[in-house]
Amino acid sequence: MRYVICALIFAMLNPATTVLAGEAKESVEADASTRQVAITSSFTGTEILVFGTVENSVQPSAEAGTYDVAVVVEGAPAPVVVRRKSRVGGLWINTSAMRFTSLPSYYAIATTRPIDEFADAVMLDANGIGFQHIRMVPAASGRIEATDPAVLAGFKEALIRLKERERLYVKSDFGVAFIGRSLFRATIALPPNVPIGPLVARVYLFKEGKLLGQYKSRVMLEREGLERYIHDAAHSKPLLYGLVTVFMAATAGLAAAFAFRRAA
Amino acid sequence: MTLYLPIAEMSVSVAVYLALGAAVGFISGLFGVGGGFLMTPLLTFLGIPPAVAVATCNAHVVASSVSGAVVHYRRNNVDVKMGGVMLTAGLVGTALGVEVVRLLRTAGLFELTVSLTYVTFLGVVGTLVLIEGINAWRHEQSGGVASPRKSGQHNWVDGLPFKMRFQRSKLYISAVPPMVIGMFVGFMSAIMGIGGGFILIPAMIYLLRMPTGVVVGTSLFQIVFTAAFATILHAVQNRTVDIVLAAILLAGGVIGAQFGTIAGERLKGEQMRVLLGVLVLIVAVRMGYDLVTTPTDLYSLGSLRGS
Repeated sequence: MRYVICALIFAMLNPATTVLAGEAKESVEADASTRQVAITSSFTGTEILVFGTVENSVQPSAEAGTYDVAVVVEGAPAPVVVRRKSRVGGLWINTSAMRFTSLPSYYAIATTRPIDEFADAVMLDANGIGFQHIRMVPAASGRIEATDPAVLAGFKEALIRLKERERLYVKSDFGVAFIGRSLFRATIALPPNVPIGPLVARVYLFKEGKLLGQYKSRVMLEREGLERYIHDAAHSKPLLYGLVTVFMAATAGLAAAFAFRRAA
Repeated sequence: MTLYLPIAEMSVSVAVYLALGAAVGFISGLFGVGGGFLMTPLLTFLGIPPAVAVATCNAHVVASSVSGAVVHYRRNNVDVKMGGVMLTAGLVGTALGVEVVRLLRTAGLFELTVSLTYVTFLGVVGTLVLIEGINAWRHEQSGGVASPRKSGQHNWVDGLPFKMRFQRSKLYISAVPPMVIGMFVGFMSAIMGIGGGFILIPAMIYLLRMPTGVVVGTSLFQIVFTAAFATILHAVQNRTVDIVLAAILLAGGVIGAQFGTIAGERLKGEQMRVLLGVLVLIVAVRMGYDLVTTPTDLYSLGSLRGS
């Protein structure tokens, strides 16, 4: 925590010196409060703070709203299947499915105000800002009529809805706040079921609908301690892992039977 | 108190899962079933990924059936020879089942197959057990003596070769029916993620005509090994066994199983069958209901890891 505060102070001092330097173009610099999040057995979700500064800010005050900032935190992309049920002979059965080749496993977005108020769809699509603008490519081997745009739209919408319900897709329309003329911050909640792996934090700076600059930073989610040990064992020594599990189960069962015989 | 599960990758409340383990353990001790047919759907309902639920259940089944089996073994209620014969064939069936699961997954039909087999099997077995149990109960109430096996009664089973003597069950029958039953149960347990007690018990009573007294113990004996084999197979092939989740579930499970076995002593065979029938039917109806009613969301997400 201490170095977060140091970083904040540094960030606040920094623009003051650069503004004096001249009439350079605005740009953005940012970072996350934590580069490394440890997943231990007591992990119940956490928050990361993404902060940054607008270089050469011409904003008169924090409330002026000269700039708009979008902070996007994405988990590693992974393939996903969305299935749709329909009624067949009275039973609800998964009849169609659509595979998306790579989709962020986690996607959090925080902005200074709703995205469609400060940027157009083309710009958002190009940068993957906002749920509707995430790149979703259906896999070629999809079993259904992937060509029909209405069907595709239905699947995409369902995908976002389901991810939102799992709290893996999170949106905060006024989640980025300016503190002073150039410093801004946003807190991003990582739920307990956040997929473990690298996260990429991207920060975009807009002014009057134009993208002035962007900045990228990484956050690692890593298993530590016992969690790491168990997970590694399950993958590197699966047979031993299975045997240990069975041994543990059998021992517990026998111990209970023995204890109860004594009691009885 | 919450704990983060290393394989399921989520944090869970320890108390909830301890209670779940204890409740299912109680039932498995009471009826001599593994309890997998209850545990798997309940875990999925609580949000555990289906593939992890199926695999981890097996470890819980090992624990609760070991303690039940030991209690029965001590009371000489286990026909080890019969269990051994069924088990040998059962392992072959399990290996076959694992291969079929792989084929069904590739074809995208796994989920539906599991639902349909659950509903069909639980429905049919539950109904049969219930009807028979009620009849036996009535029969006994009216003063008669319920005896599932009449001496001197012969059927086609007696004509089969490879006759073996099963002293504990007081049977002299062909080894073929127990092997077929064992293989079938092994096969089903790989597909449904269950120990197979609810198929084994009726099969032993009605097909093999074993004395009711040894049926529960022998069933538990066989389930211990089938479930242990399945746990290892899942760990090696799918890496979906969560040892932390298993530890929580079985801590509750072994204690529940002891109480279940004690409670089971106070029940008569007929009563037990009626109760087991009702329980199995409830699960079948619940699963059938999900297949028939309009789901709240027509869409569902499938990860590519399992299910």
